[in-house]
Amino acid sequence: MSNATVVVVTSGKGGVGKTTTTAAIASALAKEGYQVCAIDFDVGLRNLDLIMGAERRVVFDLVNVVRGEASIKQALVRDKKLNNLYLLPASQTRDKDALTEEGVASVINELRMYFDWIVCDSPAGIERGATLAMRHADEAIIVSNPEVSSVRDCDRIIGLLDAKTKVAEDGGRMPKHLMITRYDTERAKTGDMLATDDVVDILSVPLIGVVPESKDVLKASNVGLPVTLSDENSPPAKAYLEATRRLLGEDIPVTIPEEKKGLFGKLFKGRAA
Amino acid sequence: MKFKGKSFIAIVLAPEPPFADWFREIDRITSRSPGFFIDRPIILDVRGSKIPIEDLEDLLEGLSSRSIRVMGIDGVAGTRLKPGMPPSFSGGRLASDVEVPNPSGNADKSGDNGSGEESGKKTQADNKSSKDNSNGAAESDSSETEAPQIAAPASEDNGSSIVITEPVRSGQSILHPDGDVTVIGSVSSGAEIIAGGSIHVYGTLRGRALAGVAGKDSARIFCSRLDAELVSINGLYKVADDFDGKLRNSAAQIRFENESLVFEELN
Repeated sequence: MSNATVVVVTSGKGGVGKTTTTAAIASALAKEGYQVCAIDFDVGLRNLDLIMGAERRVVFDLVNVVRGEASIKQALVRDKKLNNLYLLPASQTRDKDALTEEGVASVINELRMYFDWIVCDSPAGIERGATLAMRHADEAIIVSNPEVSSVRDCDRIIGLLDAKTKVAEDGGRMPKHLMITRYDTERAKTGDMLATDDVVDILSVPLIGVVPESKDVLKASNVGLPVTLSDENSPPAKAYLEATRRLLGEDIPVTIPEEKKGLFGKLFKGRAA
Repeated sequence: MKFKGKSFIAIVLAPEPPFADWFREIDRITSRSPGFFIDRPIILDVRGSKIPIEDLEDLLEGLSSRSIRVMGIDGVAGTRLKPGMPPSFSGGRLASDVEVPNPSGNADKSGDNGSGEESGKKTQADNKSSKDNSNGAAESDSSETEAPQIAAPASEDNGSSIVITEPVRSGQSILHPDGDVTVIGSVSSGAEIIAGGSIHVYGTLRGRALAGVAGKDSARIFCSRLDAELVSINGLYKVADDFDGKLRNSAAQIRFENESLVFEELN
């Protein structure tokens, strides 16, 4: 067997940043030189192709491969910037019932032979699509916003990760990483938002990164580039790049990158500290 | 191939006519202690009553509609039973009484009907395949079938209490109608612990804790940090809004006293 690692990016709730995170982490891993494949499991509501700017080159998709209508190599779309980053898109015209457990297993097993990292973008919810996306994962990235409903949904998902995955059924423990996205530093200061410590405490999963709410994320998806490729120095890109290094096993403290302050802001901050 | 003998304590139900009244009594017990009949072997005792087989059919139907599954019938010859009925049982040995939930304010009624007549009885079940009832004490799924259960980390301690060594997540339900449940870790909002005995949470209790569901009012709830959605002992419950605000987020114990729940700070 190869030593590929399958990571599922999941959250339960929709709109928290799973797809953005998948694209950002996958491209950051590719930049490190690994062979990376991102799989979109959101059959029927696919977005990963847009975020990665590959929507105009999709011919075959995950459902075609699962049903044996196309080979994996036919369906993989190579990234336009990085030639070691591939996308296996979801089908937009089918629904999640088109995926079968055995089909997904064989797709993942074949991909394990070609790639070092396989990053699965899970759909929202806890139904078939989400459970199939996590089913064969080796590790999980739990994406949460700092607000209660998102945190509770993540908690539910973690329960499923510990019960319904292959790793769990074989008696293992799936390593889990918590990614807090859409973190608003201003609102955190005024206490309008759950603090990162509270989220970590509730979920009891180690923190891998805190991504600030930023216009850069929207800007990047509009031009079809993962945020880690569009502007490396933007705060969200920095957060994702650091998170990726932690995923690779580096031990670096989690910092919360901030928007660049004007000169006055910097001076003021320096004096206050 | 090996056959193993195992003995189980079964609850023996001895229905008394009129059955409508008897069922009302059963309903009252289950409404106070929803967990009482869950996963327990039940024997129907109709000895000496010469019950017509049609009445027996109605009885079984009434029980199964209440999700009480009868595993055997004592007092009817096997040849009289219709196909599909539980098998005939006999030769049990009386064991100690099973504690029956005694709904509060019920003392006046218990003499004539209901609570008094369920006596515990030991059934010798030989050559019994272990899948049948091998351990009535394990945590089992709640009605919500997809609720995941933590299987591995729950270690059993002589069948009367279980220990969960990791957080109980939202949507998970730990059901243990026979004894104490100890959780090392937090119980999340949206999770629930249902125990026949006491509940101990070494972490934050954010979800629901229902102790003493089999009618045990001496059961207590302990947690190192109280932030629960609901706590209940022996069917008496309180929701978070009705808690004493002072105890919020501190170590607390909750006990049943004089028909009310008493909240106390620990240490």
